[in-house]
Order: sequence, then structure tokens, then C-alpha cells
Amino acid sequence: MFGVVNTLKNQFFNSNLKIISNVIQHNGMSQYPTYFIQPVYKKESQEELIKSGELQKLTHLPTRAALVDQTCSASHDPLVSLFINYCMRKGDKILARELVETCFENIKRMQIEKYHKTTGEENKAKIDLDPKSIFHKAIENCKPVLMLTPIKRGGVRYQVPVPIKDKKAQFLSMNWLIDAGMDKDKKVRFHLQLARELIDASNNTGRVVKKKHDLHRQCEANRAYAHYRWS
Amino acid sequence: MYATTTKLLIKNVIKPKLLVQRFSSAPVLLSDKLQKFRTSESNCANHTVDHLGLFYKVPVEDRKHIFTLGGLPKSFDVQTKTFNETCLMIRQPSLDIINCMKNLDFSKPVVRFVLYGEMGSGKSLALAHVLHYAYQNGFLMVHVPWVGLWMRRCKEYSNSETKEGYVDLNLDAAAWLLNFKTQNSHLLTQPDIKTDVEYVWSKREVTPAGSDLLSLVEHGINRVKYASEVIIALAEEIKKLSNKGVVRTLVAVDGYNAFFYPNTRVYTEKKEVVHPQKVTLTEAFMKLTDFDWKNGVAVLTVDEIAIAEEDQTCHLPRYLLRKEGFEHIDPFVPVPVLNYTHKELTSCMDYYRERKWVKDYPGLDEEVEFISNSNPYKLMKVCAPL
Repeated sequence: MFGVVNTLKNQFFNSNLKIISNVIQHNGMSQYPTYFIQPVYKKESQEELIKSGELQKLTHLPTRAALVDQTCSASHDPLVSLFINYCMRKGDKILARELVETCFENIKRMQIEKYHKTTGEENKAKIDLDPKSIFHKAIENCKPVLMLTPIKRGGVRYQVPVPIKDKKAQFLSMNWLIDAGMDKDKKVRFHLQLARELIDASNNTGRVVKKKHDLHRQCEANRAYAHYRWS
Repeated sequence: MYATTTKLLIKNVIKPKLLVQRFSSAPVLLSDKLQKFRTSESNCANHTVDHLGLFYKVPVEDRKHIFTLGGLPKSFDVQTKTFNETCLMIRQPSLDIINCMKNLDFSKPVVRFVLYGEMGSGKSLALAHVLHYAYQNGFLMVHVPWVGLWMRRCKEYSNSETKEGYVDLNLDAAAWLLNFKTQNSHLLTQPDIKTDVEYVWSKREVTPAGSDLLSLVEHGINRVKYASEVIIALAEEIKKLSNKGVVRTLVAVDGYNAFFYPNTRVYTEKKEVVHPQKVTLTEAFMKLTDFDWKNGVAVLTVDEIAIAEEDQTCHLPRYLLRKEGFEHIDPFVPVPVLNYTHKELTSCMDYYRERKWVKDYPGLDEEVEFISNSNPYKLMKVCAPL
């Protein structure tokens, strides 16, 4: 339903673009007005669009240019590039990308070392050597289900457990991992610590998973306040 | 039976060599046949053009003997630790030099080979391959792992006591002597390797003529103060021994152009920058790369990384060696080290896949080839997070 409205809106704006462009409110800091659609940069999704015939509808719509990290490379992973953006401090993306990539390299080195140490084909097959799958597992394992929000009732702030959406849970999980990577001895590099944390989290152990469990426990303890969400 | 095998041969389904293996009693590992990027031939003398682009394994003892105190670049050293083995790729430049070394007339003055190429194209590893050959064929190895370590980041410097205006790098010199000792421990114990001249270090310390070369080296290691002098003496002795035909020598210097680059980080006690020709260590290697001796061969690399970053503009020998260096080694054989060919790149990626270093996906090779421009070092870096 929403999609249909959006395309209608797009078509409307597209035909009268020149006239209304002076009136239109721009979208915050973005240089694109809101009716611009997101680019499709993956080869596979482009082919899917061609097959299903959806492409015809998108052909003449105003489209945003692809971002610098949106490539059609088969090794590209949107979640990883999001994580790189979360790691970034003061806009230093080159550094952030380098750190995350070195972290993946470290993960590989640690896992391969483990692989060579273990004996027996079965045990070897159990070890995950793909850094990206470890990364995905780690993030999945660190996602909380509930969180606490302060709500004021009768002059008192109560920590009320509320369910959270997947996007928020993902954000918390990534941020916790980054914080855990930063919380280290001065001599240890961030990418090394982050690699250790990711491997731990992918095995459902480690500090970040413990943090998640602690939060869940606190929510469980505060269950009596849960009704403050709506009353 | 016979008919079928000939048919197979005609169809070129089975190569004759494989056929011999198939019907011989010796067991052949299945993995050996399937791995097209690897060769089991670890004797460098047997490497031929057929082995181009293939990996061979450096045995653990050989590696311990040659490369414990440097010789392999650090990033490659980390890789070998991860891969649990040391494998070198057989490439054109090192193969050419080894072929020349097999056919050289050693009664003629030394031939100087100069390896040059862009950053990360594999000069140091080509040198490592040559060193391995030299070790297997009983050469005396005079190997400097990295001259930049002396001129750009030396551990300690002090004014020379014996020579006016010269500077000693004592700790580095002693470290090099230790390296020399470990690399040549199998040769130095031979009875006919003796010193020719008497060396007087101080009133009480004298190395008499006819003593072992090993004792000379050990004197340098124990009395760090005289290490640089010992190296110069050692260079003279090695030349004499080679001239006599007692030993055959390989002089391998990585980053040779650092000996001619004036902007060093070595200082006098007054904090003035020292020209590398005013460092005592340099003299020894100038003597060893001269052409006035025989029964030896010199393999040198010129590298941009051995000089300061602001001057890294060109990788060609004339620029890097400057006028003095170029004239010093003038009739030399330049050996270019190029980026990977397509075959080498495929073989390298197959090796990475076999070592579980990269996860395979369709189109990986083309993508990586494009991004890294087939440069070996860049390829390694690009494949690291995959």
C-alpha cells in the first residue's frame, strides 16, 4: 500500500519537478529531496528486478547516487559497512575501515591457528574460518530482546522494561561490541581486542553476551513496573 | 590393457609421467595430483621453467638455518606462521639467477645481479629463493637481510676509534655477525677455512694468522666494540678464501641502494647526519661487491623502501643507486621483478584457498586481480579481510 502511494507521489513530483522544486522542503542535511528513491547497486538484485519486470516502474524515477561503500563486489556486505560506520570517529572512515578489516584478518589468523592445532577431521570441520559468518553470528548473539527506559510516574523515575525493535537491538549489539573492543589495556590494539570479542560472542560467551544477559535479568527484576508503559 | 592405455595417452587424458606413477608401486598422494599450484620438488637446483608459478615448500630445518635472524619480510613471516608452512613461489627472476649461477664460469670476476622492481613485487622473496639454492649447494652465504635497518633505524651509533671521521654501528654489526655465523655454521667448522693475516685489536687481543674464521667471527660477537672492524677483516678473508678456491661465495644484500643514499638517520656525536660511505660497515660490503675477486656471485636488490619516503619516486636502479653506486657495480646484470602474471595469480589464489585463507566465491579471482593490479603485496593485503 505504502509503496503504491510512494510511486504515485514520485510520478507526480517527477512531472512537475521544475515548478515545485522551489517550494519543496529539503530533507534535513541531505542533498536529495525525500522523493528520490534508493539506488539498487547489487548485480543480483538488479537482475531480479529485470526478471520480475519491476525495473520498468523504476526507470524514470529520480534516484540517489550510490554511496561510496555501496559496491557490486561479491564480497560486499551491507551489515559490515554499517558496522564500519558505527566504528567511525570524527568522520575518519579510512581508519575505521582499516580497523575492521584488520580485525577480520586477526579473526582469520586466530581461527586458522586453532584449525591447525586441533586433530581429527570432525573437530576441524566444526571450526568456522569465515570472518564474516563469525561477525554475523556475534551480532545475532548479542542482540537484546528487552531494554529499560526511565518513565516518570508520580514524581518517581521507574526503569521500565520495554520490548525493542530489531533495528534498535542490532544497534545496541554492535555498539556494545565496539565498546568492548575499546575497553582494553593501552598496549593492545583495538582491532585485536575486537577480534577476540567477536569470536567470543559468536560462541555465545564473553563480556558482551554477559552484558546482554545482565540487561535481561534487570528487566526480569523490574517486571512489576511493566504496566507503566501504558498506564 | 595396452590398447586402452595407448588410447588414453593419445587422447591426452593421462600424462605419461602420471602413468608411471599410477603403475609404479610407490604410493602417490591423491592431493599431490590434484594440487596444480604446488610442486613437491624442494631442491632448488631442479627447478625449471615447468615449475614457474608453482609453490614449493622450504623445509623447516632449512628455514631455521637461513632465515631465523631475518631474510623474510615481516608480513610474509606472519603469513608463514598462519599457514603453518613456508612456501615460496618459483618465479622468473629467481629462476633466471639460479640458472645463471649453475652455468657461470667461476674463474672470472664476480657477476653482480641487481634485482629491481616496484614496491611489493617480490624482490626480497626472489632473493630468499636464491639464498635457499645457495644453501643447498654449499655456497658461503654473506647475506644482509635489510640494509635499511642499519642506515634508517640503527640501534646505536658511536664514533669510530680507529678511523678518523667514521661511525660504527656496533650492535647492528654484532647482530649481523651472529646472522653470518648461524647461516654458515656448517661451513665455518671446515678445517681449511683459516685466516690469512694477523689482526691486532688491542694490546692483549690478537687474532693470529691461521686461526679459524669462526674464532674471528666470535671475537666480533663477544667484543662488540670491534664488531665493525671484524666485518671488514672478514670481507677481506672471504675474498682471499674465494680467490684460493676454498669456498664459493654468494653475497646477497637486500636494499643495497641504502649504501648510497645520503640522507641517513645515523648521526655523529655532534648530531650531524653521516653519509653512508662514512659508516665503517659500508666499507666491507663495498669490498665484497667489487669485481676484483673471483669464485663468487653477488645478488643485490635495490628497493624504494630502503630510502626516505619523500624520495620514493622511482624504482629503477640508476635513480636508486645514484651515480656513485651505479658506477661502483657498473657492469651488472639487471633482473626486473614484475607483478604476477595471470597464471601466477591463479596459482597464488589456489594456494590461499587450499590454506583456507580466503573464502571462495565466483568471480573472486578477477575482482582481486583488478583491485590489486596483480601486485603480490597488494594481493596479500586485499585478500586479508576476505
